[in-house]
Amino acid sequence: MPKQCPHCGKKNRFHRHRRDYRKFKKGLVFSERLSKPQKRTKKQQIFNGHSIEHKIAFLGNPNVGKSSLFNVLTGSHQHIGNWPGKTVERKEGHFILSDEYFSLVDLPGAYSLSARSEEEVITRNFIVEEKPDLVCVIADVTRLERTLFIALQAMELTENVAIIINMKDLAEKDCLDLDVGILEEKLSIPILYVCAYEDESIIRIKKFIYDSLHTTKYTFNPAMIVYSRKIEYMIKNISNQIEDRKLLSEYPTRWVAFRILEGDQIVKDELAKEYDLADIENKIEKLAKEEQFDPAVEISKRKYNALHHMVYSALSGFEDFKETTSDKIDKALLHKFWGYLILTAIFAAFFLITFYASSPIITGIDWIFVQFSSWVLTSLESINSPAFLNSLLVNGVIAGIAAVLLFLPIIFIFYALIAILEDSGYLARSAYLMDKVMGKFGMQGSAFLSLIMGFGCNVAGVMATRTIKNKRERTTMIIANSFIPCAARLGVIAFLTGIFFQPWLAAIIMLLLYGVSILLVLLTGLIFRLFYERDDPLPLILELPEYRRPRFRSVMNLTWERTGIFLKKAGTFIFVASLVIWFLSNVPYVKPTENTVLLYVGMSPVIVTKISIAEFLGRGLEAMTIPLFGFDWKMVVPLIFGIPAKEVIISALSILYPGGITKVLWTIPQVISFLLFQLTYAPCFATIAVIKSETKSWKLTAIGFFYPLIVTSILTVIVFQIFSAIM
Amino acid sequence: MPENAVVTVKAIKAGFKAIRFLADLGIHEGEKIRIVKNDIGPVIVDVKGTRVAIGRGLAGKIEVS
Ligand SMILES: Nc1nc2c(ncn2[C@@H]2O[C@H](COP(=O)(O)OP(=O)(O)OP(=O)(O)O)[C@@H](O)[C@H]2O)c(=O)[nH]1
Ligand SMILES: [Mg+2]
Repeated sequence: MPKQCPHCGKKNRFHRHRRDYRKFKKGLVFSERLSKPQKRTKKQQIFNGHSIEHKIAFLGNPNVGKSSLFNVLTGSHQHIGNWPGKTVERKEGHFILSDEYFSLVDLPGAYSLSARSEEEVITRNFIVEEKPDLVCVIADVTRLERTLFIALQAMELTENVAIIINMKDLAEKDCLDLDVGILEEKLSIPILYVCAYEDESIIRIKKFIYDSLHTTKYTFNPAMIVYSRKIEYMIKNISNQIEDRKLLSEYPTRWVAFRILEGDQIVKDELAKEYDLADIENKIEKLAKEEQFDPAVEISKRKYNALHHMVYSALSGFEDFKETTSDKIDKALLHKFWGYLILTAIFAAFFLITFYASSPIITGIDWIFVQFSSWVLTSLESINSPAFLNSLLVNGVIAGIAAVLLFLPIIFIFYALIAILEDSGYLARSAYLMDKVMGKFGMQGSAFLSLIMGFGCNVAGVMATRTIKNKRERTTMIIANSFIPCAARLGVIAFLTGIFFQPWLAAIIMLLLYGVSILLVLLTGLIFRLFYERDDPLPLILELPEYRRPRFRSVMNLTWERTGIFLKKAGTFIFVASLVIWFLSNVPYVKPTENTVLLYVGMSPVIVTKISIAEFLGRGLEAMTIPLFGFDWKMVVPLIFGIPAKEVIISALSILYPGGITKVLWTIPQVISFLLFQLTYAPCFATIAVIKSETKSWKLTAIGFFYPLIVTSILTVIVFQIFSAIM
Repeated sequence: MPENAVVTVKAIKAGFKAIRFLADLGIHEGEKIRIVKNDIGPVIVDVKGTRVAIGRGLAGKIEVS
């Protein structure tokens, strides 16, 4: 193995090449900004002897197939679906080709690099701050003009751009014919035309990325798009000013000038630290007045015009304003009357299937565990092992494992169904339909998507709020997400209603409970509207993807990935929590001696001989919870343990009721009260953590915890009092 | 505007945020769009081969001919 780096001759073979090296190889003269050392926040790693690490970012519009390509290349399972804005966080992966290490980053979809919404800020920050060696813009042939727009913006920001045009199979079906050569020549950057689902694509894309990093073929012309005389003059003017002062010199001057002209607040704030922008701003304002345009709009318009000509000459067979099959399907599915009926039917079916398909499996798993426990117990007893150990194994360990497995069917079925709706394109339509309804409560249709995601897991729901562009609505949905019963709470519903009610009644109760939580979400929307001043509301602007046949592969990927997150959390957290609960419920708080303990339940003293820590805790609260909610200590304790994770409720119940819960143990008002309370009372710890990280505010995090608790307590008290009065 | 009509955007009289966002999607003055759906709820337009739903309030501020 040579001791030197094969590329630049440096002594140390393991070091990172900055892009300077590529410019060097290309024979380009270093400009000042290029030779400036780049900031790296993360510590440089050495990649198993691969001499070079290339950092590649996947950039592009929502729903163009970035995540699909990313998965195909890295082999890792990653979130894919058919509604814009699924990837809300960047995902990383890697592949290795001819001894070079390519680390790939899949960014959230963005329509532009203007950083106008949360996910666009994430996307742009990555490119601006981490300076990937190659920005791979993914485009979609079937909407080439739109999806190439962001490529033009990226080319103003960095020279290292390549384009992958995806969905070749769809183009072939639509008889679209793309001449990649023409586009390549006009844009002067490497372009590849692929279908993400063809086997040979993988090696083609890998080779393409390799080649675009090592080629000298393309000379990039930053002034490719020339704007109108007035704008170019203005750009020149701003450029001169910032160049003279050497401001933000790590970025292309022309790009910074454009950002200022377009009124980009983030860049302006950055500049304002060192330099008074008032003069430039005045000039821009004067220009806008004179010409009666918004410079930002004018610049986008020019880009689109340029693209239109390019695409027109390269793509044949594209028919503008054609009514597609999707349009025809939408005539029915988005119909002003039938559309809503279908929506209701689909989502009712959705929840009923999740409920009905999972509850026999849950009962089955439960039965198996009961049998297994009793078998273990009898065999342990036959070898005379100590009672303490038996109880630990059976009620602690086995019950803990059961708690995890009991949720698996619900989570899996829920995510599989969501994935089918997502991948077909219907989920985006549901947001469209719900816009009218949500609008009455001060929210947009896109908030509906976060609501739906929340039914699986509130963490996913809170993350999905990033697609909501309006700050007030976003905060509302982040807080209101705790009202949405996640799969864990559906598990509790399925478990308890299965014991206490006939199947038909159980279904009605489940739908009623869901109705209550949706109502709470909507009311929260109304309440929050009172507290927020009216900002510039950005109305619904939502792209509706074409309908597609859901792909088994992407549905399964999606389902497994999300189920995997649950299993990971469950496997550790829930299991450990079950053990902790067992200890708290079985280790005596007061040693069981001949002395008896006197406890006050309500007003009458009760004599018990042995009491655990959990019981002590629960008994303490009983005095308050029995009259208000009807909860005795065995009901209170699971709810307390359920605060960190709702999955724990069932395992706590089964630990506290070693013989299982039967109809005679709880009265119907108690059951109703318990179901209602657990439905919305508190977000789990994981949700609280994302509320904090998404809102970056302790105040909102505190509201996020206490607001549901207070609302739920009031509601439950009312409902319990009514039920115990009539029954 | 009737459904299926191809129209030209004349002016957008909305907040600057909305105008810029629409411009990024290719909906700006002088652009031809097709109205796919316009009865109740958001208006769906066909622009550059994609379907974009625009909230009814905002859609009302887009002047077309
Ligand atoms: N027919 C066809 N469908 C594709 C192809 N590539 C991706 N898709 C589908 O396009 C949809 C969106 O793919 P994603 O990979 O999730 O898109 P994305 O760009 O990551 O989207 P965001 O994360 O929302 O920005 C999915 O339904 C994929 O199955 C392709 O080459 N051909
Ligand atoms: Mg994605």
